Amino acid sequence: MLKYLAKRGITYVVMIFLTTSAGYFLAVSSLKPALLEQERIPRPTPEQVANSMRLKGLDPDLSPWERYVDWLTGIVTRWDWGRSPNGAYINAEFGDRVWISTRLFLASIILTLVIGVALGVYSAARQYKVQDRVITSYSYLAYIVPAPIAYFLVQLGAININESVGDRIFFVTGISTPGLAPGWAQFGDMLAHYVVPTVAITLVGWGAYQIAQRQYLLDNVNADFVRTARAKGLTRNQAIARHALRVSFIPVAQSIAFTIPAIFAGGFFAEKIFAWPGVGSWSIDAISLQDVNAATATLAYGSVIFALGAILADFATTLVDPRVRVQ
Amino acid sequence: MSSETTTGATEPARHGVERLHVAGLHAPNDAVLSVRGLNVRFNSENGVIHAVRGVDFDLMPGKTLGIVGESGSGKSVTSLAIMGLLPPTAQVSGSVRLKGQELLGLSDKAMCAYRGNELAMVFQDPLSSLTPVFTVGTQIIEALTIHHPTMSRAAKEARAVELLAMVGIPSPKDRLKAFPHEFSGGMRQRVMIAIAIANNPRVLIADEPTTALDVTIQAQVLEVLHTAQEETGAAVVMITHDLGVVAGMADDIMVMYAGKPVETGGVDDIYYNPRMPYTMGLLGAVPRVDVAEKASLVPIEGMPPNLLHAPTGCSFAPRCPLASDACLDGEPALAPVAGAALHRAACIKSGSLGGSVDVHGVFAAPPVAVSRFDAIPRAERSTVLQLKDVRKHFPLTRGALIKRRIGTVKAVDGLSFDIREGECFSIVGESGSGKTTTLLEILEFHPDQDGEVVIGGLSNKQAADAKTKGKMRRELQMVFQDPTGALDPRFTVYEVLAEPLQNVGMDRPAIKKRIMELMKLVGLQPDHVNRFPNQFSGGQRQRIGIARALAVNPKLVVLDEPVSALDVSVQAGVINLLDHLRAELGLSYLLVAHDLSVVRHISNRVAVMYLGKIVEIGAVDRVFDNPRHPYTRALLSAIPVPDPQLERTRERIILQGDLPSPLQAPKGCNFATRCPVFAALPPAKQEKCRTLEPPLEAATGSRDQQFACFYPDGELDEDMLVVHETVDHHAP
Amino acid sequence: MTNLNAVDPAAVAQDAHLESADVVIGKTTIIFRRFLRNKTAVAGLAIFLALTVFSFIGGFFTQWDKETIDPFSIGMRPSADHYLGTSQAGIDLYAMTVEGTRISILIGLVVGLVSVLIAAVYGCTMAYFGGKADKVMLFILEALIMMPALLVVAVATSGGAAGLKRDLPSWLLLIIVLLVFSWMGTARLIRSMSMSLMQRDFVKAAQYMGVPPRRIVWRHLVPNIGSLLILDITRGVTAAILAEVAFSFIGIGIKVPDVSLGVLIGQATSQVSTFPWMFWVPLTVMFLLTGSLAMMNDGLRDAFDPSSSSTGKAKKARARKITAEKKTA
Repeated sequence: MLKYLAKRGITYVVMIFLTTSAGYFLAVSSLKPALLEQERIPRPTPEQVANSMRLKGLDPDLSPWERYVDWLTGIVTRWDWGRSPNGAYINAEFGDRVWISTRLFLASIILTLVIGVALGVYSAARQYKVQDRVITSYSYLAYIVPAPIAYFLVQLGAININESVGDRIFFVTGISTPGLAPGWAQFGDMLAHYVVPTVAITLVGWGAYQIAQRQYLLDNVNADFVRTARAKGLTRNQAIARHALRVSFIPVAQSIAFTIPAIFAGGFFAEKIFAWPGVGSWSIDAISLQDVNAATATLAYGSVIFALGAILADFATTLVDPRVRVQ
Repeated sequence: MSSETTTGATEPARHGVERLHVAGLHAPNDAVLSVRGLNVRFNSENGVIHAVRGVDFDLMPGKTLGIVGESGSGKSVTSLAIMGLLPPTAQVSGSVRLKGQELLGLSDKAMCAYRGNELAMVFQDPLSSLTPVFTVGTQIIEALTIHHPTMSRAAKEARAVELLAMVGIPSPKDRLKAFPHEFSGGMRQRVMIAIAIANNPRVLIADEPTTALDVTIQAQVLEVLHTAQEETGAAVVMITHDLGVVAGMADDIMVMYAGKPVETGGVDDIYYNPRMPYTMGLLGAVPRVDVAEKASLVPIEGMPPNLLHAPTGCSFAPRCPLASDACLDGEPALAPVAGAALHRAACIKSGSLGGSVDVHGVFAAPPVAVSRFDAIPRAERSTVLQLKDVRKHFPLTRGALIKRRIGTVKAVDGLSFDIREGECFSIVGESGSGKTTTLLEILEFHPDQDGEVVIGGLSNKQAADAKTKGKMRRELQMVFQDPTGALDPRFTVYEVLAEPLQNVGMDRPAIKKRIMELMKLVGLQPDHVNRFPNQFSGGQRQRIGIARALAVNPKLVVLDEPVSALDVSVQAGVINLLDHLRAELGLSYLLVAHDLSVVRHISNRVAVMYLGKIVEIGAVDRVFDNPRHPYTRALLSAIPVPDPQLERTRERIILQGDLPSPLQAPKGCNFATRCPVFAALPPAKQEKCRTLEPPLEAATGSRDQQFACFYPDGELDEDMLVVHETVDHHAP
Repeated sequence: MTNLNAVDPAAVAQDAHLESADVVIGKTTIIFRRFLRNKTAVAGLAIFLALTVFSFIGGFFTQWDKETIDPFSIGMRPSADHYLGTSQAGIDLYAMTVEGTRISILIGLVVGLVSVLIAAVYGCTMAYFGGKADKVMLFILEALIMMPALLVVAVATSGGAAGLKRDLPSWLLLIIVLLVFSWMGTARLIRSMSMSLMQRDFVKAAQYMGVPPRRIVWRHLVPNIGSLLILDITRGVTAAILAEVAFSFIGIGIKVPDVSLGVLIGQATSQVSTFPWMFWVPLTVMFLLTGSLAMMNDGLRDAFDPSSSSTGKAKKARARKITAEKKTA
């Protein structure tokens, strides 16, 4: 088992390396920070710009390959992901933002999975009844709404509630209220800021899981082994709960590989809309600021998240399905 | 004769005990399971399907009732209705009493007290009937926990080990922790039986428990069921489509057709003196492995009726050769047959039928087809297919990162045989014996094969260019086991049949003409060519498959289990068709089948394979009447025969365990590990079997029989022989 | 068989009928009929077609276009002059919606069709060659799945004055980037489907009859994957439209002066309370578009399912009716 995971791990490391390298070349060839610099007032001379860029390791006169080698050497030897055109160090910027993003995604991933699977089970148990129809129609609706628009609508709804109540119940932007003393007040404030974005991501995300889990469970409800369990003396509901449910988790576990990147992408939109200073909004801002190193770093982060998702899916699958366990 | 099955709710009460209970030496309360007027209806999109219509029976403790019928006859629905396992949308009416307690109408929860406790069931497909994510031990222990919540963990585990040992699973203690996917099909069915008998049920319902299994494994599982019945004293309801399986086991038989019992009685009454044309047809449709005489099988034309409409006459009338206008006037009730009070049949003509009536005459079975080649001695006929020392070895590797070879699977190991014009050659053996690989080696011939395959005089060694290959292909066509999977669901029958013809470059008018010919040849209506395969029944689909194989006039047709997916009555029609085509078109067949009765009926020669090798080969009558190799003997003895007296008295060889994994293939004789002769040999002689490989040698006194065994006349090991001398209970 | 050589008079009549080759009912017709019988699907198709037509000829019904500023009506509510009102800058919303719908449909159709084509070629190649080629191609495919498409889109469309951006309109750039990242899932599905089809008995039957591989692929594989391909086209079109809206919404997809539904919705967010129609009109059009595609997808899935029994029965009845009609004719 460990050997298998190690083998998968190596494959993913190679893949991350390749995608990140490809991303670097794409960024280097299309993002030109020097051009943006020249639009500053007072207008610097091209020499001044080139000098300032050279100091930050962003020499525009070097070929993409030379810059790639420099950049890679920095990462491999010093774990230094380079600097932004404004002189900031990627490593330092990144550290703060990763934590903000991860907290947001983690809560949403767990909620999406739990609610999606639970509703899937619930609607399967009430197949074709009103509850099932409502829940499943909602999930199909969620499929045809683009994520950022859904987030925006949630935000709009929260604002409307605030307005109609006449008090600020929900925080619709930002991660915290500045100037609060550390302690319970700050913690409570953080939670209050979390509510709207987490709810928004979860509301959009669970639909796919609900539909999948409902289908997988319905596929298994009339399986032969459920009949065997009933023949032993379990009621229908007991047999489904003890036997069919566990089996229906297998394909859901496999699909975790795709949820995590999806939530991650959703998170990008969410950060942008709710003005959270996470990796997602940073990367989009970085790109508009022609920041090669920041863009590549976020791309690498995305690849790592995907690989983690895939490994987690493998792990979850072996957990629920004895047939794939390597003896 | 005491029959435990009493039927016919309309009969006036004789004993005055209960109006519904009609006759029998037992008082009604003795019946452990008593079913009256059972009706099951399902709502479907097309209307109400009346799946079970009035089933009555009494089951006495320790006795066995066989319910026989084809798919759709309502036999499985009956069993599920008794168990209360039908979907809630099913409307069930009537009465099901277990030891006097009414079960129908009980809630799912209330039924749970009986299910798995006093009333247990074994299902058909062992591969899907166990939950894949739980260990076998967990699943057995669950059955105990449900009904004995207070039992200690240790006691439950001990009981589980005991149960596994009882059903014949080696090293039961370790196997408790194994998952179902680590077991073979036969082993899983044993586990199913262990679960069913865990709480010593009074009634055990077995729904086609051996249908998916090999004959040798079927014999083992039937034996386990027998043991289980003896150990628990349970009464058994055995549901099957195979009249052979229940012949030796059942005390009483109920034949079902279109949801209704059409004939019931003691096992001997039904088999030797059938009074209902359907029963007669079913018995005549089954080929016999123990009879050499060639007679056509009895085909039952048509299809079972649609259960959507209430029948206005006898539901079998449309397919019955004896039907007259009177048969269409009201459905006949199950009435006692004259001369045998407990034998009932639902036929207005039952009085004039019986054991003395020739079923072949009644059903107009076609005359035995005689090929023009049959008269020519085999040696003078030309060879259509020849295999010379064909081998197929697969390397077996293990390891994820670096693959290392841990052994070789000798799927086919030095096979040589030939097929002459106009003959049918069969290969038999358990699954895993290499039959399918042999077919693949022939059909996927290529120059780099290990060994030579000669098709119509052309060798695979010459088949480098497309032209030679094409020529060889035209000589050889195939009919597949699963008629549904073998036809592209998106092709109409016309397109299916046109494909091989287009491939040989025939023009459109010629193709059309040929397709019309083919449709008639295989007994299909030519105007059905525009239909899709899913609009045909299984038997018709197989006919389409046969028509496709014959399209380009091949010399040899490869038949891979051509009838195993079909119902008994349909099977007979297809076998007769194959027989007829062989004679009319002078075809040769290469048949692979697990059903030795079919093989005996249709073949001229037969080869018995075991672990990639031929262990016995020769003329079918020689090999079947005088088998020399212990494996052939074991295979033959495992086949159940639809003859109750013979089944009850005959000696049976039960092979131990499954086919060994190819990795464990021993150095000497492959079969030594399971051989009943080997087990009885003195150690000195055993040594020879263990170290030397027996060559395929001609049997003395026979021109066409070869076998590979050193001690064909050796005594059989007593432990592997089983005779059920339980004939007494049927004495008058 | 007793009836083996029996001649059925009806069959003989049918025989002659068949000779004239007019009873063969095309499968396309059958699938088309099944689709038409599904009311939701037909409604979806009608809405989608109406929107497409609207996006092409809608411009003729107004004198305004997407660039002209009407200085006398800035931020106007819908009126007789401006059917859907005007934006803050005084541009006619109706004209912009027509233009935006066209761009969105264009992106959707091009990406949906081309990505399925790429997926089919790539997936079938993998299945056909197998072995090493399959492994390498699978690796490339998985690496592409791992790339966060969002960032690549952002990089590609906001490349300052550099490279592609100069020469190509932003919608074409978006199409290219979306194409690169949209075909992998389908390709993987097609690969596994073709591989399992190769194992099916009817494909083996064709192989054993000596039918050449090219023909097997064309006659057996493609039609059996065909339904999946068409379903994936509708799914792909939906996904591409959604992606365009999402990207443009946060400002990294289509860039002004090009308009699309995403751009219109995105621009309107800041003034939802002041100019609600600016937000809700393009949003409604988008819902109609994606909703109609989802409805079509559902109907197509049913129509392609060869095992769907209820439709099969109706089909038989209808086929019989048609043959009967032909006979009388």
